[in-house]
Amino acid sequence: MPLIRNRPLLALALVAGAGLGLLPFLSHAPNRLISGQPVWFSALQPLHQIMCAAPLIALLAGAILPQRRRVLSGSITAAFLLLALLLFVAGAEAARLGASAASSARTSFGSGFWVASLAAALMLADLLSRANHAPSWRFLAGFGAAMPAAIMLATGHLDDLSVMKEYAAKQDVFRQALLRHVVIVTGALLPTLVLGVPLGVLAFRTAGFGRTVLAILNVIQTVPSIALFGLLMAPLSALALLMPTLRDLGISGIGLAPAIIALTLYCMLPIVRNTLEGLAQVPAHIVDAARGMGMTPRQVFWQVEVPLALPVFVSGLRITLVQAIGLAAVAALIGAGGLGSIMFQGLFANALDLVLLGAVPIVILAMVVDALFKLGVSQMGRAA
Amino acid sequence: MIRFSRITKTYDDLTVIRDLDLEIAEGEFCVLIGASGSGKSTILKMINRLVEHTSGEIRFAGAEIRSFKPEIIRRRMGYAIQSVGLFPHWTIENNIATVPRLLGWDEARIDQRIADLLRLLDMDASRFRKAYPHQLSGGQQQRIGVARALAADPDVLLMDEPFGALDPITRDGLQTEIRRIHGETGKTIVFVTHDMDEALKLATRIVVLDKGGIVQAATPRELLNAPANAFVREFLGKDDYGLKLLLVELVSDHMRQGEISSGCETISAGDNLRNALSTLLALKGDRLSVIDRTGQPIGTLHLPDIVS
Repeated sequence: MPLIRNRPLLALALVAGAGLGLLPFLSHAPNRLISGQPVWFSALQPLHQIMCAAPLIALLAGAILPQRRRVLSGSITAAFLLLALLLFVAGAEAARLGASAASSARTSFGSGFWVASLAAALMLADLLSRANHAPSWRFLAGFGAAMPAAIMLATGHLDDLSVMKEYAAKQDVFRQALLRHVVIVTGALLPTLVLGVPLGVLAFRTAGFGRTVLAILNVIQTVPSIALFGLLMAPLSALALLMPTLRDLGISGIGLAPAIIALTLYCMLPIVRNTLEGLAQVPAHIVDAARGMGMTPRQVFWQVEVPLALPVFVSGLRITLVQAIGLAAVAALIGAGGLGSIMFQGLFANALDLVLLGAVPIVILAMVVDALFKLGVSQMGRAA
Repeated sequence: MIRFSRITKTYDDLTVIRDLDLEIAEGEFCVLIGASGSGKSTILKMINRLVEHTSGEIRFAGAEIRSFKPEIIRRRMGYAIQSVGLFPHWTIENNIATVPRLLGWDEARIDQRIADLLRLLDMDASRFRKAYPHQLSGGQQQRIGVARALAADPDVLLMDEPFGALDPITRDGLQTEIRRIHGETGKTIVFVTHDMDEALKLATRIVVLDKGGIVQAATPRELLNAPANAFVREFLGKDDYGLKLLLVELVSDHMRQGEISSGCETISAGDNLRNALSTLLALKGDRLSVIDRTGQPIGTLHLPDIVS
């Protein structure tokens, strides 16, 4: 019998331990202009040290014990607790440090916290996939893992961390940026679907046309996003000058219009390709049978081809949407706003907390969309 | 029922069917047989217009098939194919209901029809109605394929190598089944295969095809007794030619009527002599009790009867 039953778990637990032991857990500065002093794990309150160390030790044990069902459930619980308690301890320590300092003081996450949290999240993901539950159960587990963080955010437990201080200072800006981000993404998604799906169907029906369309979209896809945003500025501002009505509608070289157009162009390729691929993978003999039964071309399309193409199409839509949520951040550079504007503001001002305030919601948004779509596809697969 | 007159089919420069004349009478079990590339599937698919003929005329029930909309004519013809082509996203009952729904039958009638068909094909309704195709074995799927083809009580059944992908035992079972269905319903069946044994077992008439033309069209017995040329003889095979002869002879035509024997294995009257011989050889026996469809003994088949 091998001594170590779950090597990835052991490795990740050791990484988490090393992160806590060797890297600063938090960083504390008297104000946001001065770079922070490291706060080591050993300097935390003993109770807090135990709260983090206990689940970690449990995980180490879980990696060595035989992988029975009960051990696996225990490991999952431990990873879940570790993830939640790391954040809890960070919030609590920030509050303790903040109490004895001026209100301008800033406590932010240290590299040790990041390493340990990332390792804990990976352990949880690994253990959940080993437990081999249904996709819907895994979705719920992921949702459950996010709950403690949501509760801590809602109850103000994390308010003394610098990210949340930035949030408090920029609450209105943040809310608008988030809304704008969603507007940019949906604004690009709708025309993409309206244009891309019929294009995909047409590309499927006529092979020559399909090759041309995909070739063009492939070229667009290779243009770097910033360049594409830039390329659209000149023609759009020229257009707005020529046609004042367009300008009154808000179309100009910078802002929302070029962002949505560029994003639409980007999303087009995956949507067209997945529509095409979804239809192309419908087995020929099933279509043959449908025609032979006496279905009209329209009935073949709606009753057979569309439902059988849907899972592939929806996976494509998921990738497109996740990609668009990320790309929309770049749109901030041409004045379209969105969470990217907060992120870039932080980057240019060398304010890491501001970067986080922009970037973390983008990641969360993408992850939520991704999980929802995966759940949807798995439910579809069950019906088929 | 179906008449091909001077039918030619070309793809660009390639002629796959040349000047074909063929008449399929009502109630016939017509088997089209040939090697791949002989045009047998093309001929079948021209009947329901999945393939359009280039020149000539195909009449169905007296009317040129192009006077119908393709969908209309297809709904009057059952269609079963080798790959079955059940719709994977529909339950078995919805698959069977495909053509009745297209024809706008009311749900009560469809429901009754599904029950009847599952019974006809010996499938347990409570187990299969709500199942999805992927939950069925290959043989069960093809049974459903046949049920779906029969669903709207079509004038003609078109079958394109329907049992080609099945294992020998399942294939044998379905062959017996389709022959029984043909006997009971009297439907016109056009059946494509490359398997001569299958053709001999099923057909009332075999049409041997080669390079897009008819080599010989005859009853199985005529074909065996008087092959038109070397090609047909080759197709019939050399080694087991004698056994093929037994394939077209029915037990009921060779048994001793009314002689009831007990204590021996049974065989059904509708079975062929090759199966009878095979059973006798396996049992090292010299006679079989012949039973009818209800299982009642009606006669005895003795070993010498097989060759007499």
